[in-house]
Amino acid sequence: MATISTLSPGARFIDPNVLSRIGNLELVARWVVEGFINGMHKAPYLGVSIDFAEHRGYMPGDDIRRVDWRLYARTDRFYVKQFEADTNTNFSVLFDVSKSMSFGSRGVTKLDYGRFLAACLCYLSTKQRDRVGIVTFDDDIVERVPPSAKHFDVTLHTLDQMDAGRPGTLGPPLYKATEFFKRRSILVIISDFYDEPEKVLDAVKPLRFAGSDVIMFHVLDPAEVGFPYDDSTSFQDLETGRKIPVVPDKLREQYRQLVQDHIQALTELCGRNRIDYAFLNTKEPLDHALFKYLAMRHKLTKVR
Amino acid sequence: MSFLAPLFFAALAALGAPILFHMIQRQRTEVIEFPSLMFVRKIPFHSLRRQRIKHWVLLLLRCAALALLIAAFSRPFFSSNALAAVTGGAREVVVLVDRSYSMGYGTRWERARDAARRVLGNLLPDDRATIVFFDSGAQSGARSTTDRASLLAAVDAAELSAGTTRYGPALQVAQGIFEESDQPRLEAFLISDFQRIGVDSAANVLLPPGTVLTPVSVADEDQIVNVSVAGATVQRDIFSGRERAAVIARLANRGDAPVTNLQVSLELSGRELESLPVTVEANSSATITFAPFTLEDVAMPVSVRAAADALPLDDVFHFTVTPGDVVPVLIVGGPGAGDANLYLQRALAIGSSPSFSVTVRAVDQVTTDDVAAASVVVLNDVGLPGGQIGAAIARSVEDGGGLLVALGERVRWPGDALDLLPGTFDAPADRDGRGGALGFVDYSHPVFEVFSTPRSGDLTTPRFFRYRPLDPHPDATVLARFDNGEAAMAEHAVGAGRVLLWTSTLDSFWNNFALKPIYLPFVHRLVEYLAGYSPPTPYLTAGQVVDLSQYPGAAHLNLTSNLMVRDPLEDLVPVESDERAGFIELREQGFYEIRDTDAADGESVTIAVNVDLAESNLERVDPQELVAAATGRAAGDRSVTSDRELLPEDLERRQTLWWFLLVGALGFLITETVVSNRLSRTELDVDD
Repeated sequence: MATISTLSPGARFIDPNVLSRIGNLELVARWVVEGFINGMHKAPYLGVSIDFAEHRGYMPGDDIRRVDWRLYARTDRFYVKQFEADTNTNFSVLFDVSKSMSFGSRGVTKLDYGRFLAACLCYLSTKQRDRVGIVTFDDDIVERVPPSAKHFDVTLHTLDQMDAGRPGTLGPPLYKATEFFKRRSILVIISDFYDEPEKVLDAVKPLRFAGSDVIMFHVLDPAEVGFPYDDSTSFQDLETGRKIPVVPDKLREQYRQLVQDHIQALTELCGRNRIDYAFLNTKEPLDHALFKYLAMRHKLTKVR
Repeated sequence: MSFLAPLFFAALAALGAPILFHMIQRQRTEVIEFPSLMFVRKIPFHSLRRQRIKHWVLLLLRCAALALLIAAFSRPFFSSNALAAVTGGAREVVVLVDRSYSMGYGTRWERARDAARRVLGNLLPDDRATIVFFDSGAQSGARSTTDRASLLAAVDAAELSAGTTRYGPALQVAQGIFEESDQPRLEAFLISDFQRIGVDSAANVLLPPGTVLTPVSVADEDQIVNVSVAGATVQRDIFSGRERAAVIARLANRGDAPVTNLQVSLELSGRELESLPVTVEANSSATITFAPFTLEDVAMPVSVRAAADALPLDDVFHFTVTPGDVVPVLIVGGPGAGDANLYLQRALAIGSSPSFSVTVRAVDQVTTDDVAAASVVVLNDVGLPGGQIGAAIARSVEDGGGLLVALGERVRWPGDALDLLPGTFDAPADRDGRGGALGFVDYSHPVFEVFSTPRSGDLTTPRFFRYRPLDPHPDATVLARFDNGEAAMAEHAVGAGRVLLWTSTLDSFWNNFALKPIYLPFVHRLVEYLAGYSPPTPYLTAGQVVDLSQYPGAAHLNLTSNLMVRDPLEDLVPVESDERAGFIELREQGFYEIRDTDAADGESVTIAVNVDLAESNLERVDPQELVAAATGRAAGDRSVTSDRELLPEDLERRQTLWWFLLVGALGFLITETVVSNRLSRTELDVDD
């Protein structure tokens, strides 16, 4: 069931629980993205595109196909058209498939949510004729699909088949992934980032320093944010298996504060390192999260 | 309150269940899997022991609901009328107001009336009430009425009386009203100063079971200051041929502080003769003697009045002083036997109330006039004279006179006059050794009555050495016997008079009785009894009813004529001439004057009336003690252990409390449901 929000005119947001019942990722991605794009044309923000940037004088060696003949007809001089962006780029998703991503308190796990998110972004990139690929990792690289214009289906397949079953970490696998992205790429990291903010940035920064645009999607379940537990019981860490007796009433407020501090720290550190950061709560509609991120990114692009 | 099924209270242990549920049930054994405990580990560990009850409101609601359920199942019922108060049962209220004169102390009376008005003001529309004013008796107006106005009017019109406090009659009136009542609740209010003197009268009164008796004390807690004139005596003497009387008054201070320079005055016929200051120590008494005054031929009203204090009614003492009575006595002795009359003559010469006019004659010198003038004839060791004298004596006895015969050596009684004696006597008989003593005395007889109490004379001390054995007639009464069983004194009624026979002598020849101190009062009592003498009554007590036909000073009044009474309030009231002719109820303190308006001389009779001085003893009793005595249970205990007959609907009504408890429990459960749902919802919202 679709829920209509008033957050933005024309934006139609879909409950992640509904998406989780659709088996076909491509269908999910198309539904979300096209619905999203259709809604965007009335919005004040335009998305990333390869628009005309400027003319420059013809230089020997330039491809004569890029000469603006119409301008030559008016001015009798050769000018070459330059565009804002390259015609296409590599778009890769680095997906954390550690055990903690299998957690979900409201029917949809973080892994599912991230899966939908990745599919949507891939679809969007494919529409922009980018080359899409994916790297899944836990404490090591699990799967790798190099970016390619033909790898959309493979990417979706990988997303569909991946499974979160082992403990994970960020540093080693991301460091290893740096080797994969020699060209400037758009890298989307989808994870719950359960590590100290400094360590997270230490793991991500090499990707950024390699020239890629890095976008961090921080996906958390509402239970991880709000800690809505009542009864005193033991909590077990999904990845380490360690059990701790917990009195939720006593530590709830402190827990919530620590999570907020963690998010705040990540936001600040990412901003400082020119890394895009978006926090996503799996209870929010997916396109809502997508919209929020793209709006933010557009704003930041203008600033830059 | 009692319970039909108190065993259900054992289920109160179940109250622990909600508490355990709130404290223990919350601990789950299952393990919650969580993505990462990175943040949890950063928070200091909280022990589970610190986790106690979270939702106090829910816990209290659950416990209250459970407790009410248990209470409902135990079927509570009010065994007293307390339930009726809850369910609106009507009351039968009796308000007992003490109006004895001690209530005149300070502002007690006003406070008592205010208390009565408050009680009446608190009556509910269905209540019925009776107001009873009591002193030594009890008076009620309209019984068991709902007319508040008449009850309040009765309170407004009530006045203090001169009577004493007795709780018995008042409680009996209340008892009667309660026994006749069909109201479910019985309640009495006793408004009094709770004097101890009135408690004994309530010993045999027990109010119906279930009665709630509420004492309302108006007694003063402050120190009591009360001096009363406790009495007065008159000392008579003869001065210049006229009889004079000196009044000696006794004052009692029942307070804890001495009273100094208290002015006490003597009033004669309403005029003050003399006023003297007197000091009375705390809890003590004092006497004051006034100057003598000359008596008149008629009874004179005299009052001793002390300066008024907080209790004015006992500050005055009224009495009448009459000229001294004289009893004429004729002593007939043997010729030349003057010594035999010595002791008797000397003994009768002493005495002022009455005084004795003694005429001593030898048996051969007695005249009929002597006999006619005497109220009592004493034949001291002589027999009955013969001829006219003897006949005159016998006639005098038959007409109401008295004859005392002392048997001695020389007594020879004529055979035709043996009926005059209570028996036949023989020759003198001797007692051996130390002689005999009186072994039996009829102390119920007026002659010996004064000796009946301890230390009032020992009749066994005289020793008798000789006597004349007496064989009493069947109709004679032996009043005293010697220790050998022989009669010492016998009585015999002849016509309207009496004959007493003393079987020994009245001198010291045959006994030593005349040498004993008891001889004088004995002789006085003998003569007074034979003369039919009754001392004048100087005063009566308020509350008494005087019978004029028996009143010593009113013998001259014709009770069938038109008698009028002027009471102390100066009201003229005719004496009733119907079946209660001659009876006057003395209600007020002061002087009553009774006058025969038909008589030419208009001679009046004055009767002095005083309050009962026992009432001026303001010692208090614990009201709870009185309540316990009257109700059979402790004061304030409103429980009923009675078997008072109740209608089925009453019984049902007494047990309907469980309904309220059940409804209350239901209400708590509904509230608990609403609250718990809201709490859950609130927490979910917070989580989202």
